[in-house]
Amino acid sequence: MAVELRDDSDNGSDFSRPGSPSPSSPTPSLSNTTSNRGQGIVDHTTFDQLLDMDLDDDDEFSRTLVHNYFEQAQRAFGDMDAAMSASDLLALSRLGHFLKGSSAQLGLLKVKASCEKLQYYGQRMDATGQHSSISNEEAEKQIRVLLIQMRREYDEAESYLRDFYGEQEQQQ
Amino acid sequence: MLCSLIRKMCTTSTTSLLQDTSSLQKTTSTYFNKAINNMTASPILSTISPPSSPAMSIESDFEDHDETTTTQPRKIKVMIIDDNSVNLTILSRLLNKHFADTIQLTSVQNSGLAALDQLTKDEVDLILMDIDMPVLSGVETTTAIRNNDSHSEHSILEQNLNVPIIAVTTSDAEEQRELYRQVGMADCVSKPIAIPKLRMAIEEAMKTVSTNG
Repeated sequence: MAVELRDDSDNGSDFSRPGSPSPSSPTPSLSNTTSNRGQGIVDHTTFDQLLDMDLDDDDEFSRTLVHNYFEQAQRAFGDMDAAMSASDLLALSRLGHFLKGSSAQLGLLKVKASCEKLQYYGQRMDATGQHSSISNEEAEKQIRVLLIQMRREYDEAESYLRDFYGEQEQQQ
Repeated sequence: MLCSLIRKMCTTSTTSLLQDTSSLQKTTSTYFNKAINNMTASPILSTISPPSSPAMSIESDFEDHDETTTTQPRKIKVMIIDDNSVNLTILSRLLNKHFADTIQLTSVQNSGLAALDQLTKDEVDLILMDIDMPVLSGVETTTAIRNNDSHSEHSILEQNLNVPIIAVTTSDAEEQRELYRQVGMADCVSKPIAIPKLRMAIEEAMKTVSTNG
């Protein structure tokens, strides 16, 4: 069952190819502005791959996906707060890993990085995931600080993405 | 019939015969999502020419088929498994957009248990599986498949026991990749998914199936 897969659109960020869908960013000027501001917040190589999956002149797919991510993140943050209150480090680690995946898929660099740290701290490892064991107290202390930072990074990413889609920023 | 005639005309030739499946794609478009329906209606995609390589389709060796049958090359039937709905949505869309010619997304599961249950009922050719999932991880699910342990009273279909499984995960350190290999996974693709890397992993995994008959 030898299979060679061909595809005419391997590079999701190459919008110059004939026949390829046009990017679904709201306006060119806004796109340039947000691309510059996106540095450090959003990896556009990854995010543009999602935009490439929108249909011509219709950003429904990527916009809906981003909104789903917002809902998912809010639920995750709520669960993290509950886990923190219960000192449930393993739950915090699982939640960190869970949100890391979808944050990575959207190209949200800082949120992804913080989720990874949460994953490690919750397993009582250091921030780099090395197998050095830290105490429960140290882990909780690090996580407490990290959750504040992560929330700030998420708010920044949400603001960026809502701006990208020309939406009013939601009141938290 | 036409293939039979061509074969008779070229008795000393080993030329592979390719069929234009664009009409077939139109009739099967109802199984695809809205995006694919719209895409196949586009002027560009409605004139898809036959595959450039005989290896593109699963069954490309027409000499093995009865002369009275006109076997259409079939697509790779794929199951994807991830407990994160955002990841499932992205992977589904990615497969439908970038691999529509050769892949048929037949099953989307949000847990290892649900996947095992489905594998007792339907045959798949390839599984793309997340690793870190609650209850049954990707490693545990793979082990269960290889050991025919469906966690239920039904057996996994025999055809699924050795199905190629590709891990799709952020847990992609070398020691983790080694673990995936040990439990019987074919490859590991990191998230965020890079389409060329996914393509290469799928090609390599399907070559393994071809080699093993």
